Amino acid sequence: LLSAFIYFNCTGNLFLSGLHRTICRRPQTLLQGRAPLRLQFRSKKSRVRLEEEERKTRNRTVLTYIAAAGVGMIGLSYAAVPLYRLYCQATGLGGTAVAGHDSSVVEHMSPVKERVLKVTFNADTHASIQWNFRPQQSEIYVVPGETALAFYKAKNPTDKPIIGISTYNVVPFEAGQYFNKIQCFCFEEQRLNPHEEVDMPVFFFIDPEFDSDPRMARVNTITLSYTFFEAKEGQRLPLPGYSYQPQ
Amino acid sequence: MSTAMNFSTKSFKPRAPDKGSFPLDHFGECKAFMEKFMKCLNENNFDNSLCRQQSKEYLECRMEHQLMTKEPLEKLGFKDLMDPPSNPTENNTKS
Repeated sequence: LLSAFIYFNCTGNLFLSGLHRTICRRPQTLLQGRAPLRLQFRSKKSRVRLEEEERKTRNRTVLTYIAAAGVGMIGLSYAAVPLYRLYCQATGLGGTAVAGHDSSVVEHMSPVKERVLKVTFNADTHASIQWNFRPQQSEIYVVPGETALAFYKAKNPTDKPIIGISTYNVVPFEAGQYFNKIQCFCFEEQRLNPHEEVDMPVFFFIDPEFDSDPRMARVNTITLSYTFFEAKEGQRLPLPGYSYQPQ
Repeated sequence: MSTAMNFSTKSFKPRAPDKGSFPLDHFGECKAFMEKFMKCLNENNFDNSLCRQQSKEYLECRMEHQLMTKEPLEKLGFKDLMDPPSNPTENNTKS
């Protein structure tokens, strides 16, 4: 009976309805006994209208989902800015400084005697500055939580005064956030008269929290590197920390 | 220079020192203390913990000669090297 019905449908003079298409396209599956759902509908007209309505609601649902996804994406891109900053602070990715350290921590910190760290010193000069700049000790052994003093020496061998300005770098980078300088000679112009030699101290400490950071568990050597550049007259460099700009 | 702006590379962000910059000791007023400190370091295999007395003296010299703003030494982390006040229970075992 089913096969007769199908034969009649496919060869008869019917306008293309979904039912027609479904049946005639896959006679094989139908003959095997799987009847499409739409065989339930009686008349063709209501079938068509129902299908159109179904299509319309389906389209509308899809459109709503797409619109919602679009709005969600826009919202996410706005929210990403503070979220990313939080993520960076939490994981320390990108070398973001751990949210502020209080300078009064120096007073109350106690040294972590078990963790001895070697701090090596490096001194560089830019090619155009003619100072002789070198550290006075190649390394020093400190413990976190204890303030330490180190010296560099700079000499101006030329016959004219030279003004230098320096910056520093700490490797490994993640240890840099625990490396706190109380006072040093960086970021300000230092003037050396002809043939003058001065000692430049750096007074620093390593935050005691260094010992409890799991990422620092394998770090035993920290290198502090200073680089001197020649400063032009009247040039004021922005102090880092207020507006960090990549050079 | 750490100028990489990639996402996952770590870069270093220099920070200004807490108390600013040391004025240069043009006249070598505290050079003697510095020499003592360096000598102590050389003798003790560059162990900072053993030479803190000398570093304290160097900073005191700086403060005397107007090369550093005067500050109570406890704020500079020398609490353990200060003479304890009259009560004997103040003896912290930190140095």
